[in-house]
Amino acid sequence: MSTKLHHTMNVSVGKNGLTSRRDFVKALGAGGAAVAGMGWMDRMTAEAAALRERGMSCILLWMQGGPSQFETFSPKAGHKNGGETKAISTDVSGIQISEHLPNTAGVMDDVCLIRSMNSKEGSHPRASYLLHTGYVPTASVKYPTLGSIASQQIGNDQLDLPSFVRIGRARGAGGAGFLGVEYDPFQMQTAKRQPENTEIPSTEQRYQRRLGLLGQLEGQFEKNGGEQEVADHRKLYNKASKIVLSPQMNAFDIQQESAAMRNAYGDSEFGAGCLLARRLVETGATFVEVAAGNWDTHQDNFSRSQELCEQVDQPYAQLLKDLKQRGMLDRTLVVWMGEFGRTPRINARGGRDHYPRAFNVALAGGGVRGGQVIGKTDAGGVSVTDRPVGVTDLFRTICHSLKIDGDDTNMSSIGRPIPIVEGGETVSEVFG
Amino acid sequence: MKLAKSIAVTIAVSTATLLVSSVVVAETPREAAVKVGKLLAQDLKQDSADNPQADDEIFLKRAMLDIIGRLPTPEEAISFAIDPAEDKREKLVHRLLKTDEFGSNWARYWRDVILYRRTEERALLASQKLEEFLTQQLNSDTSWDKIATAFVTAEGDVREEGATALIMAQSGQPEDTVAEISRIFMGIQIQCAQCHDHPTDRWKREQFHQLAAFFPRVAVRPVREGEKRSFAVVSQDRFFSRPSNNNNRYRGTSEHSMKDLEKPEERGKVMTPVLFTTGESLRIGATDDSRRESLAKWMTSENNSWFAKAYVNRIWAELVGEGFYEPIDDIGPDRDCSAPQTMDYLAEQFVANDYDVKWLFETITATDAYQLRSQRRRNYDETPFQANCNQRLRADQLFSSLISVLGVEEPGAREFNRQGYSARFSARNLFNTAFGFDPSDPRAEVKASIPQALLMMNSPIISRAISARSDTGLGRLLRQIDDDEELITELYLRAYSRAPTDEEVKICTGFIKKIGNRGEAFEDILWSLINSTEFQYRR
Repeated sequence: MSTKLHHTMNVSVGKNGLTSRRDFVKALGAGGAAVAGMGWMDRMTAEAAALRERGMSCILLWMQGGPSQFETFSPKAGHKNGGETKAISTDVSGIQISEHLPNTAGVMDDVCLIRSMNSKEGSHPRASYLLHTGYVPTASVKYPTLGSIASQQIGNDQLDLPSFVRIGRARGAGGAGFLGVEYDPFQMQTAKRQPENTEIPSTEQRYQRRLGLLGQLEGQFEKNGGEQEVADHRKLYNKASKIVLSPQMNAFDIQQESAAMRNAYGDSEFGAGCLLARRLVETGATFVEVAAGNWDTHQDNFSRSQELCEQVDQPYAQLLKDLKQRGMLDRTLVVWMGEFGRTPRINARGGRDHYPRAFNVALAGGGVRGGQVIGKTDAGGVSVTDRPVGVTDLFRTICHSLKIDGDDTNMSSIGRPIPIVEGGETVSEVFG
Repeated sequence: MKLAKSIAVTIAVSTATLLVSSVVVAETPREAAVKVGKLLAQDLKQDSADNPQADDEIFLKRAMLDIIGRLPTPEEAISFAIDPAEDKREKLVHRLLKTDEFGSNWARYWRDVILYRRTEERALLASQKLEEFLTQQLNSDTSWDKIATAFVTAEGDVREEGATALIMAQSGQPEDTVAEISRIFMGIQIQCAQCHDHPTDRWKREQFHQLAAFFPRVAVRPVREGEKRSFAVVSQDRFFSRPSNNNNRYRGTSEHSMKDLEKPEERGKVMTPVLFTTGESLRIGATDDSRRESLAKWMTSENNSWFAKAYVNRIWAELVGEGFYEPIDDIGPDRDCSAPQTMDYLAEQFVANDYDVKWLFETITATDAYQLRSQRRRNYDETPFQANCNQRLRADQLFSSLISVLGVEEPGAREFNRQGYSARFSARNLFNTAFGFDPSDPRAEVKASIPQALLMMNSPIISRAISARSDTGLGRLLRQIDDDEELITELYLRAYSRAPTDEEVKICTGFIKKIGNRGEAFEDILWSLINSTEFQYRR
C-alpha cells in the first residue's frame, strides 16, 4: 500500500510539472470541494488519472539512411542541384514540397518544417547516434536515446505495456544507455505480427500453473542467501507476465482496425507501423519509433527516393489526420527525420552522398504551430543562409513540446551528472 | 616486423622481471592465497568473515561457471562429490584452467569489455576474430602484458587480426582509443580530463592529450575487395593529403594537437607523447611503430603499477563478486580501495609471476574470500568480503547452461551478409544480443530486462526444446527413467548441480500427481527450473 502510494505520487508530480510533494498536496487541497466525499487514496488516483490524460507522447518517424532534402521537403526545381524533382504547392500558400509527397502536401498546415538543420557528422553510425541522443558517441558514457529519455521522464507507470516501443530496424538508434534496461526500447521487427515471445506457449491456465510452481521452487534459494535476487526476479517476471496477459496487448494487433482504416494507412510495412504507433499511443505508450528506409541513395537517387516517398507519404499524412480526428494531435508530437541530408551535387551514378551541412526535420502536433517553415538555404541548397538549427536546438525543442526539462541531469555509471541536453536553445518560433 | 616487436617486448619484460625478483619473491598460488587471507583480515580489522565456506556442490558450480563458463554435467557433479581428496578444489581449478573452455570463456568476457564500448557499430565485424585471438592467447598461456601489447600495436584487416578490435571499436580516433586503453588496461578514466581539468582527479587535460599523442598516425580505413567490404587498422609516417571530411578518420595525422577551448576552430597545440602515469616520453616526429611500442612497453612495465592493479582488481571482482575498487575500471589514485594491503600484495605478486593469468586464477580461487558461501551484494555500510556475491550469469554462461540442461547441440554459425560486410552469426550471438551486458558496468546496476524474461518464458524455440516429445533431451530422459523422484533428481543435477531437497521433491511429486500427465508435468518442472533465479545466477 505504501509503495503504491509513493509511486502514484511520483508519477503525478512529474506530469504536472509541480516541483515538490508539498505542492502536490496543496494542489489536491485546492480541488477539495469538487472531490468531497472521496477518500484520500481515491482522490490521489483520480488526480493521477487526470494528469496522465494530459501527458505527452511522441512518435518518431525515423528515415534511416539520410533522406534527400531535395526529393522530400526542400525541392530546388530549376536549379541544377535540384535534378529532375519538381515542386508542388501545398495547402499552405507559399510552402512547396517535392512532387513525390502529394498526400503530405495536404496536411502541411499541421507541419512545421525546419529546413536549416545542420551537424558535422557525416557517417551513418555517428550521425544516427547524434540525432537519437543529442550527443556524439564516446566510449565512456552511453547516452540514452530519445525514447528512453521520454519514457524515463514522462513515462506512464500505470500502463501494462512497455512505454517505449521501436518498430522496424533502426540501425545505430541507441538504447537506454546509463538510464538502465527498464527504459530500453521494446523492439518489434514488424508491426504486422505480435511482438516476439509475447504469445504464451500454451493455455493461460497452464501458464498460471507454471508460474505457481516456479514460485514454490524459488523457496530453497530464497532461504539460502538469494532472498534479494529472488525478490527482484519475481518482480521482473510479474511485470513480464502482466504484459503478456494484459488485455492491452490488443493494442499490438492492427487487424482490430477496420479495413477502411488499414487501407487509409496503406499496407506497406511503414503504413502498418504508423497505424500501430497510433494504437499504442492511444493505449498510453509514451514514445513509439517507426523506421523507414533505406534512404542511403548513393546511386539512382531519383528513382529510389521516389519509391521511398511513395512508401512514406500516405501513412505520414494519414497519421497526422487520424491523430487530429481523435483529438490526440495536440498531445502527440510527431517527428519526421533522418541522420543527415544528401549532397547538393549529383554524383556520376545519379546518386547523392552524405550531407550533414543542411537537411530537414518535420515536426507536427505536440503544440507545434503548423503551416510554417523555419530556416533557409541558398538557391543551390549548399549552405544554410537563415536561422541555422543544430541538433541540440532540435532536442531542446522536442523537450519543450514534451514538457521535459532539458537541463535535468542523470548520473552516468561513473557518477558524472549528464544533462538531458547539453547546450542548445529551444527554437521558440516552432510553438509561436 | 611483428616478430621484432614481440622480441623487443619479451626482452624488456624479462629484464623487468629480473629487477623485480630481487625485491619480491614470486609465490605459489597456495602460498599467496594464505597471505591474502592474513592481509585481508588486517585490512578489514577482523579475524575471519561472518560466513562459512561454501559446500562442495556450490564450489563446483561456481568454479566451473567462473573458469570455463558452463555448468557441470551430472557426471562431473557426482564425481566431484565423491572424491575424498583434501585438495580436490585446488585440483579442480588446475584441471579447468587446462581445458580449452577456459580460453573461450574469458575471450568472450574480454570481447564484451572491448566491444560494448564501441563507438563504431561496424566493429562487430571484428567480433569473431577477436574471440578466436583471445581464446588462442589465453589457452597458450600468453602473459597479460603480451596480450595488452598486441592490442596497442595491432594492425591489419579487422576480419583477420583479432587484436585490431579495440582500435576498430573507436574507429581509430586517438582520444577514444587511448581512453579505452587507459580504462581497460590501467583502470584509469583519463578521458574525464578530455575537455577540462577534472576538479577531483589529479590528471590534467594536457596529460590526456599527451596520451592521445601516441596514436595520431593510426587510422581505420575501409577495405573493398570486389563486393566484399571490411576495415583495416593502418598507420603511416608520411603525410601528403588532408584528412577526409564528414568526421571520418580514414587517414592519420603526423601529430596530435590539443585544441584551445576558447578557439575551437584553430588547430591547437601540438602534443608530445607522454605516458601520464610514469612520465616517460617520446619526441615529436617519432614513428608510429616507436610510439605504440613505447606506450605498450611503458604501460606494461613493473614501474607502472596500475597495469597489474587493473587486471587484479577486475578478475578479483569477477570471481569474488566485488572489486577492491568499484566501479572496477575506475581505480585511479584518488579512489578508495576497500582492502589496500591485499590489493597491493596481489598486484606485486602478479608482476613477480610474470603477469601469468592462470596464476592469478589459481590464487584467487584458493582464497577463503572466494570460497565463502554466497550472499546478496552488500550494502555500502556493511563490511566487504564477508561472502562471495551472487552474480547474474553473463549471456554466454547462460546460453551454455541452457544448452546443457536442455540436452541440445550448440547450433553452428551461419554466414551473414549485409551490404558487402559479411560476418558469421549463430544462435549464441542472437542470445547475446538479448542477454548481453557490458561486463565493466557495476554489477549492481545490471538489471534483467522484460524481453529477457519473455524470451525465457515464451520463446517457441525453448518451448520446443522442453517438450516431452521423444526427440528432445527431456523426452529421452522420460523414456530412460521411470521413477519420478529419480528423474526430478536428474533435472536438478542438470539445472542446479545439486540434488533436490526433500521439500523440493515433495513439491514436484505433488505437482505431478495433481497434473496427472507425466510428460506435461515434467515439461512444467523443467520450465520452472530454467526460469528460476537459481538457474540464472551463479552462487
